[in-house]
Amino acid sequence: MSESTSTAAPIEVGPGLALVRYGELALKGRNRGQFEQTLVRNIKRALAPLTEVRVERLRGRLVVFPERRKEQALRRLAEVFGIKSVSPAWSTAPEPEAIAALARAVLADALADLPAGARPTFRVQSKRADKTFPLTSVELDRFVAERILTEDSPVRIELDDPELVLGIDVRPERAYVYSRRIAGPGGLPVGTLGRVLCLLSGGIDSPVAAWLAMKRGCEVSFVSFHSYPFLGEASKRKVADLAQRLARFQPRTRLFVVPFTEVQIAVRDTAPEAYRTVLYRRMMQRIATHLAARDRCGALVTGECLGQVASQTLENLSRIQEASGLPVLRPLIAFDKEETIALARRIGTFDISARPEPDCCTVFQPRHPVIRSRAADCARAEAALDLAALVARALEGVEILDFAPE
Amino acid sequence: MLIGSPRAIRSAVNPVYLDHAASTPLDPRVRAALSPFLGEEFANPSSAHRAGERATRALEAARRQVARAVGAEPRHVVLTSGGTEANNLAVLGLARAARGRHVLIGPTEHASVRGAAEALREEGFEVEHLPLDARGDLDLDAAEGLLRADTALVAQMLVDNEVGTLYPLARLARRLRAKAPGALLHVDAVQAFGKLELSLEELGADSLSLSAHKVHGPKGAGALVLARELPLRPLLFGGGQEAGRRAGTEALPALVGLGLAAELAELEREAAGRRFAELRALLLAGLARIEGLRPLTPGTARLDSILALEVPGPPAEVWLHHLDARGVAASAGSACRAREGRLSPTLLALGLSPERARRVLRLSLARTSTESDVHAALDALGAVARELGALRS
Repeated sequence: MSESTSTAAPIEVGPGLALVRYGELALKGRNRGQFEQTLVRNIKRALAPLTEVRVERLRGRLVVFPERRKEQALRRLAEVFGIKSVSPAWSTAPEPEAIAALARAVLADALADLPAGARPTFRVQSKRADKTFPLTSVELDRFVAERILTEDSPVRIELDDPELVLGIDVRPERAYVYSRRIAGPGGLPVGTLGRVLCLLSGGIDSPVAAWLAMKRGCEVSFVSFHSYPFLGEASKRKVADLAQRLARFQPRTRLFVVPFTEVQIAVRDTAPEAYRTVLYRRMMQRIATHLAARDRCGALVTGECLGQVASQTLENLSRIQEASGLPVLRPLIAFDKEETIALARRIGTFDISARPEPDCCTVFQPRHPVIRSRAADCARAEAALDLAALVARALEGVEILDFAPE
Repeated sequence: MLIGSPRAIRSAVNPVYLDHAASTPLDPRVRAALSPFLGEEFANPSSAHRAGERATRALEAARRQVARAVGAEPRHVVLTSGGTEANNLAVLGLARAARGRHVLIGPTEHASVRGAAEALREEGFEVEHLPLDARGDLDLDAAEGLLRADTALVAQMLVDNEVGTLYPLARLARRLRAKAPGALLHVDAVQAFGKLELSLEELGADSLSLSAHKVHGPKGAGALVLARELPLRPLLFGGGQEAGRRAGTEALPALVGLGLAAELAELEREAAGRRFAELRALLLAGLARIEGLRPLTPGTARLDSILALEVPGPPAEVWLHHLDARGVAASAGSACRAREGRLSPTLLALGLSPERARRVLRLSLARTSTESDVHAALDALGAVARELGALRS
């Protein structure tokens, strides 16, 4: 990054840093310091597969300096929860002449991406955190615009809805200039709201539910139930691939794979056929509740959605939740399938979820699952089972897989 | 990055492997023959120095080995990256160079033939499928009816990879010569190689495709063998290797492996054939004692090394995983294709419902298979039948 202020071409190597704006964090009062710390940690973990980064904390902003793969790193930043927007930027000394020179270079860089002969409209938009700076924001806007609008300038000023906005952020140490603003995902930094345990199937819904929980600041661990040898290793790999994909959105990702065959056979052999699905899910909740305690998770997350399949009724959701001692978060409860699919595509889990399912579970599935299950019937069916022993044996066989962003 | 525990690879090694139609273990002699080319003999066959000359000689030796194994001339052997490329090159390369715009493909062709034919369809070719009869065999009369004066190419596999049907290629060839003398006949011989004597002349074929890893060679090597000089449009363009028919620096380790694997496959073919017949008889006798298992016998002739059987209860994939858990590797090819929405046409032609077609398991032998493999497989099948049978009741 050139320190030169006298030439108009100091930026041929591309932006060297990113200005990161965060949203709700600013409102968090006394927790703000801790929230910022968490965001800085998450940024470093998210970019670790690409590059080392240095992060500076300004008031209300972070400045991220990637060492390598700068453009890719800056785009990856736009996936980190808690970030409202990212601007690839250049910096210079906080002096009007230096800023104007850099602004001309940044504008030239932006124009280089437009078709030859284009005459876009633009405006300058300054912010001044440094009140000792000799010019006010409006004066700086005008000062820079005058330096840009020379006789042969290819741009025209337009204050309302211009095609290019040249942003200037003046701080006591440095001034930052940028021409792009990339929207981030918003939300809160993962980890600031604690940890939850998501029941991950190979389907489309649960990965999206997990991502939404992450968006609201939860670190998400995963539990998946595996009926080997009714299902093969490939179905476990599918769930692991989903966990790996979701691992890019948070600093640490753990997947518990629980052997579930014995539970399914026991339920199948003793329970009324229509109740099987509800009873399997009650067993999943019991096992998940134990794992949540072990992994210090404060709630369970599921991809359940009201009425998506005939058996997703209030009665059945109640029966399933009753088996757990923890709050059950259902971020998708009111989503239409199309909304879930659109989000799954956006976060990159859809293609993994859409891999063909082995048609092996027909052995265990009831032909007509109960629609309005009753607590007394669940209790009666489960009286025939040694619940504690089934849960204990399932927990003994748990396999733990850890994932890092890649 | 998966940090995971070692239990994730629990079933990576199967002591009893009966899925040889999918792939075969590398013959130690082949491994020894190719290993110098992973080490000190790294030169490019196109180079003019002595090291390059050694590479060229090794490449040409491999080509002669392949040619001799199928009774062809070395200059008519196009070395490829495997069976898929050989089939693609045959279907696309021969049809594009021909005058006619009509292509016929067999009823049960491998995806590498079907996919290439679909690509031709997009280029304006008319593509039709040969039909099966009620026994799951090629319907020759119906096939003859589809042949036309403008038929450019007929592609028909020699052995069905899912159920082992041995198709009457020579008869098809005679009808083709009579009805459509301008048409070329390509034979996918990937599954037949090492099991049947292969001769382009006796099959009446114009080209055939081979793959190394189905005959104890390495993955990544195969060949398209032509009966004579034929117009062939290449798929890959570049440095003019393979007489301009297949550009790209030759994958010498894999191709040297292909050469010896081909030679050994032919050398040991008859002994292997006797072994397949014995092991199949043993397998069938044992299967007869397990309730509910039903071997499928499509067509009039079958390869002894492939046995398809209908299993009771859940889909074959469940059986596959249960067998796998007991250390026996089998295949449920039809079940996998069912998920792609495409069941084996042979099974449907035999009158199986889609639900029954999903319950077809495949066992396939190689010359390395032993009696104890068969006994172990029968024990495991019996145990799984009891286990899954208990669930059903």
